[in-house]
Amino acid sequence: MRAEAGVPLGRARFTELSLLVWVAAFAVTGFVAVLATETSSFSPTAAIVPAVFLTLMLALHVFLVGIRFRGDQILMPIAAGLTAIGLILVQRLASDLLLQQLSWSIIAAGAFAATILVPRDLTALARFKWTWALLGVLLLIAPLLPLIGREVNGARIWIKVGPGSIEPWEAVKILLVIFFAAYLEEYREVLSHTQRRIGPFPVPPVPYLVPIVAMWGIAMVVMVFEKDMGATVLFFGIFLAMLFLATGEAFYAILGLTLLILGGFAAYHLFGHVQTRVDTWIRPFDEDLRFDAGFQLVQGLFALANGGLLGAGLGNGMPDRIPVVWSDFVFDAFAEEAGLAGALALLALYLVFLYRGMLIALRAPTPFLQLLAAGLSFIVALQTLVIVGGNLRLIPLTGITLPFVAYGGSSLVTNWMLVGLLLRVSQVSERMRGGGAP
Amino acid sequence: MEITFAVLLWGVRIAFLVLLYLFLIRVFGSLQRALATENAVAARPTGLAHLVVQRTVRGAPRLGDRLPLRAVNALGRDAGNDIVINDEAASARHALVEFADGEWWVEDAGSTNGTVVNGEIVRSRERLQYGDELAIGRVALRLEQ
Repeated sequence: MRAEAGVPLGRARFTELSLLVWVAAFAVTGFVAVLATETSSFSPTAAIVPAVFLTLMLALHVFLVGIRFRGDQILMPIAAGLTAIGLILVQRLASDLLLQQLSWSIIAAGAFAATILVPRDLTALARFKWTWALLGVLLLIAPLLPLIGREVNGARIWIKVGPGSIEPWEAVKILLVIFFAAYLEEYREVLSHTQRRIGPFPVPPVPYLVPIVAMWGIAMVVMVFEKDMGATVLFFGIFLAMLFLATGEAFYAILGLTLLILGGFAAYHLFGHVQTRVDTWIRPFDEDLRFDAGFQLVQGLFALANGGLLGAGLGNGMPDRIPVVWSDFVFDAFAEEAGLAGALALLALYLVFLYRGMLIALRAPTPFLQLLAAGLSFIVALQTLVIVGGNLRLIPLTGITLPFVAYGGSSLVTNWMLVGLLLRVSQVSERMRGGGAP
Repeated sequence: MEITFAVLLWGVRIAFLVLLYLFLIRVFGSLQRALATENAVAARPTGLAHLVVQRTVRGAPRLGDRLPLRAVNALGRDAGNDIVINDEAASARHALVEFADGEWWVEDAGSTNGTVVNGEIVRSRERLQYGDELAIGRVALRLEQ
């Protein structure tokens, strides 16, 4: 059985290695396609990038084999594949940022390795849940503070650190998922086994409703003062999803969504930036928006149309006509150059990531680990949904990064740490269930 | 010369898509194989050992039942557990009994009322010997071969 199945048994990680070989194959091909098209601006450093990146991924694989890590072998190659697509797109769309992004991927790989090595006991993370919550809320509101906060492209979500700036929200995601998982593990009995009911709805004692309302309040603060709708949706969406997973009560999800819709409705009428976002979503082609607030979205839609089924070919499209394409609109750029075929493959990779993450959650031995794995995979899924939906004009556009692919350091590093945590959860289940197996 | 370069370039662009899909297919294949293997491990006939019901409430589980154990067993009040303990004093997910490194182990899964082995509360993860008595809520189980 071992030879044919070969996946979780033994010490070698053949599945991971063979998947990484395929990542290497399409990454090199993609780079060649982009570089060959831009022969005019060819620089020898560009050729080093795929080599460095693939060496890095191979090093991570060797590291996992070396520490005899037993756990999932599929998530790491998917993350590597997505990061490779990200590097190809940075090379294509903003080649001056390429070395920066490569450095960030090296840091991300280091953060991944650290996540695998450092927390000795994953369950111990639950013990410090209030620390994580406090740290998360502090980071979340840090951009609002006068000296360190920074407003970029209309959203006040950055803090100054030395010469650069980081997006604290990215780290907050993971901290909050750890906190939610620990909190819900402790209180889900009370939240879900309430005797008092009004109609079909459970009515828990008032103190247990406080966190839900508090979360909503914080989400609204982020939306109003940091002008970041994407973060609001993500933050509150993760909380509601985990609450539902933990309690199985649709009431909480309905209550939360109602609060979110009410808040969104009020914000639409009170704040100009929310109104603009919604207007450009509903009627981007109107005279007053076409070349103004809706320009980016409209150019993105033209790019999608230009792509067609098989795309214009990597390096052959005109995605640079979309403003700031490398950060908010990478999906449109990829869809233009790789076509519907490439875009679907990209989405399928995210889908497999979510599926695998949820499987890890199902197999995890304790509620904390289950909620942790589910929440972490859900971040990636919801983030993809929000930004791709925004790019395709299915929902109002919000400035969330496309996980692993979009240009941006904080995002890449935290997403790789997230993969590291998922692998750790899978390792715990593997150790427990595979007890008798070699 | 010009034409051949252009054709070659198109070849590379199409090759990128093809390879991306081959990668995706390999990912799906690996996923399927991983699932098959995990299911095979989970479905492996065990009969490794049994928990014999010594004391119970409301006849669930029934007194004297020999409950077969797998490599990993979840115990608790929730219906999704491998061994369901129908007692309010048991938590939904109460404890784990598992076979690892040739030994039986019991681990408390964060239960409210704790897991007790031979009258002593289980702190984290403890070894179980044959003949040991495991108490969860008001239900007592003895590990037997």
